[in-house]
Amino acid sequence: MSELALEIRAVSKRYADHVAVDALSLAVPQGTVYGLLGPNGAGKTTTIRMVLNLIAPDEGTISMLGTSNTDRRIIDRVGYLPEERGLYKKMQVRRVLRFLAELKGVSARDADRRIDEWLERLSLTTPEKDWGNAKVDELSRGMQQKVQFIGTLLHDPDVVILDEPFSGLDPINAQALKDTVVELRKRGKTVIFSTHLMDNAERLCDSVCIIARGKKVLDGSVAGVKAEHGASNVALSVAGGQERIAELLKDQGLIDKVDDQNRFFEVKMRRGADPQALLRAIIASGVEVQRFELVQPSLHQIFLEKVGATNIERGMSGHG
Amino acid sequence: MVSTGKLMAVIKREYVERVRTKWFIITTLFGPLFFLGISVVPGLLTVRSMRDAQVTDFRILDATGTKLGARMARTLKDRELNNPLRKVIGGAGPVAVVEPKILTLAQAQVAEAEATATRAVMNGETRGYLVLDSATVATAKARYAGKNASSLGEMSQIEAALRAALLMQRLETAGITGARADSLARVRADVATERITSQGRGGSGLVSAIFGFLIAFLLYMMIILYGQNILRGVLEEKTTRVAEVVISSISPETLLAGKVIGVGAVGLTQQLVWLGFGVGISAYGMGMANAMGVGTFALPQVTAFQMVCLVLYFLLGYTFYAALFAAVGAMCNSQEEATQAAQPVMMLLVASIILVQPIMTQPTGTMATVMSLLPFSSPIIMPLVMSGTQVPLWQVSASLGLLFLACLGSIWVSARIYRVGLLMTGKRPSLKELVRWVRYA
Repeated sequence: MSELALEIRAVSKRYADHVAVDALSLAVPQGTVYGLLGPNGAGKTTTIRMVLNLIAPDEGTISMLGTSNTDRRIIDRVGYLPEERGLYKKMQVRRVLRFLAELKGVSARDADRRIDEWLERLSLTTPEKDWGNAKVDELSRGMQQKVQFIGTLLHDPDVVILDEPFSGLDPINAQALKDTVVELRKRGKTVIFSTHLMDNAERLCDSVCIIARGKKVLDGSVAGVKAEHGASNVALSVAGGQERIAELLKDQGLIDKVDDQNRFFEVKMRRGADPQALLRAIIASGVEVQRFELVQPSLHQIFLEKVGATNIERGMSGHG
Repeated sequence: MVSTGKLMAVIKREYVERVRTKWFIITTLFGPLFFLGISVVPGLLTVRSMRDAQVTDFRILDATGTKLGARMARTLKDRELNNPLRKVIGGAGPVAVVEPKILTLAQAQVAEAEATATRAVMNGETRGYLVLDSATVATAKARYAGKNASSLGEMSQIEAALRAALLMQRLETAGITGARADSLARVRADVATERITSQGRGGSGLVSAIFGFLIAFLLYMMIILYGQNILRGVLEEKTTRVAEVVISSISPETLLAGKVIGVGAVGLTQQLVWLGFGVGISAYGMGMANAMGVGTFALPQVTAFQMVCLVLYFLLGYTFYAALFAAVGAMCNSQEEATQAAQPVMMLLVASIILVQPIMTQPTGTMATVMSLLPFSSPIIMPLVMSGTQVPLWQVSASLGLLFLACLGSIWVSARIYRVGLLMTGKRPSLKELVRWVRYA
C-alpha cells in the first residue's frame, strides 16, 4: 500500500466573486478513514467535486490511487455519496440500484446478487415486505437514504467519498453508517468524508484536515493534531502542600495558565511542554498527588481555537 | 473516452423507463385512433348532413318562358341519385331524393314570388330558391338565395346542373334533340393529377401533397413531443439531484448522448407501431374506396432515396432539437422556468410548421428553397418540399450537410451548458453567463 488513496497538490478554484478553494494540498493514505472538516462554505464540497472530476480545478493536480483523477477508469474504483441526495423517484429500487452499478461497470448479474445482499443487510427486505420492488417515492426518507448509501457501495469501491454523510440521518441510520465505515476500513478500504460535526470526526477518523475559507488550517493524524495543536490540560488534585504547588506552577517554561481552585487545579500546559516533567517535579516536591490526568482537548476545541468564531460566521455566508 | 457498456446502461434506462409508462402505452395505442378520428369524423358528418338536408330541396322560380327550370331539376335529381356517397349512406335502403319545386311565372311576377319564397325559407318549408329570369338563357346568369348559400359544395352542384340544363336548351335551339343532345350534354370532364419526376411518373399529385404534409406534421410532432420529454428528464435529474451521482460515474457527454439516443429510440418505436396502424388503415381505406366505386388512388411512390432522406432528416432534426431542449433543462430549476426558457427553441419549431401551408402551395418558391436549407426548419420543410416537387440533388445534400453541422454545433454547445448547468442551482443564468459557461466548461 505504498501509493496514496488521494493526493491533492496545490489545487485552487475561483468563481466570479470569490475563491472557493485556495492552494489546497492534502494526502490520504490507503486504508484509513479521513475527515475533511470545516464550517459551512469552507470549500469542502467544491474540493470533493474537484476530486471526482465533476468540476475542473483552475490550478493544481489531483491523483487517486496513483493515477490522475481525469482517468475515467479510476472513477470506477470510487464510490460517491453527494451532499444533496436524490434518486429517480418513479423507478423501482432494484432498477435504480442496478443502473447505478452498471454505471460503475458492474454486470447486471453481479449487481443483482449484491443488491439482494445489501437490501437484506440494511433491512430493506424483511419477511413481510420487499422494499426492493417498491418505487423510490414509496419509501420513507430514511429508507431512501439507505438505498442511496447502497448505491454508493454496490461496486465495492476502494475509495469511498461521502459528502456530509451524517446530515439528515436519524440516529439509527447514523449508527448503521458508522458501523459500515468501520467495516470498510477493516477490509482495507479508504473512506474520506466531509463534515462540520466534530464529534463524529473525532470518533471515526484516523486523520483529518481542517479547512476554512478554502485554505487548509491544519492536517494530520487525529492524535498528532491533538498533540501538536491542542493546548493539553492537566487536571491536578493534591492533599495539602498548596504553597509548594503554587510555587511549582509559576514555572513559565512549563505552564501557560492555572485555574487555582484550592485543592483542585486546572493547568494549561505551555505549548510543546511535557506534562510528565510537571508530574516529576510535583512528586519530587513530596506533595501527595491524588489526581494527575491529562485532559485531551477535543477536535471541537481545536477547531474553535484555530478557525475562530468570526471565521465560522464569515464562512457561513460563502458558497459550497 | 466513452465506455459503450455505460452508454448502453443509460440508453437502456431511458428507453425502458419510458416505454413502461402509462403515458407511452396510451399515446402509442390511442394516437392512431385520434388521427383516424380527426380524419374520418368530418367525412361521416358530411354523409350524415347529406341524408338530413338534400341539395335538391329548393324552389326554382322560372321566368325564362322555356322549360329550363324543369330540365335543370331533372338533371340535378339524376346526378344526386348517382352520387357515390349516397351509396355509402344507403345502408338502410335508398333515400328518396326530393325534386326541386318549379314555379313557372312571368318576369313581372318575380319580385313578388321572391318575397313569398323568402318567407317560405324563413319558415323552414324549403332551404332556398333559384331565380331564373328572362335573361338567364342568354347570359347564363342566375341568382340563388337560401340557408345553404354558403355551402360551396352545394352551390357548385347547383351551378353544374344549371350549366348542363342550359347546354341542353341551347343544343335544342340549334336543332339538335333527343339522344344526340343527351350524349353531347353528358360530358363529364375529370382531370387526374399525377406527378412527374426525373425518375418518371409517380402517384397522384394530391395524394403526395397530403403525404408530404402528414410527414412534415409527424416530424414536427415527434420533435416537440420527444424534445420536451428530454427536457423533463434532464430537469428531473437535476431537481432530484440524481445528476450528481450519475456524472460522478460517467461523463456528462455520455449521459447526454445516452439520453438523446434512448429517447429517440422510444420515438422510433412509437413511429413503427403507428406505421403498422397506418398501413392497416390505408389498406382498409382503399377497400372502402373500392366498395364506394370512387376508384382507388395510387399511393405515392416513395423511392429508396427519399426514404433514406426522411430517416436522416428525422434523426438529425430530432438530435438538433433534443440537444437544445436538454441544455434548456440543465439550466433551469423548475418546470415553470423551463417552459419559459424553452420558448426560443419552440419558436424555431413553430415558425417551421406555420410555413408548411404556403410552402405546400408553392414548393418551388424562394421561401421553400430557403426554409429547406436552414437547419432549424429543414427537417420539417425539406421532406414536405421533396414530396411535392423534384428537389435538385445539390440542394438536398447542402441541406443535409448544413443540418449535420448545426447538429454538431448544438451538441457541442449543449454538452457544455449541460456540464455546468447540472450542478448549478439558484438563479437561471443570463445570456452573458451562458456564454461564459460555454466558453469555460
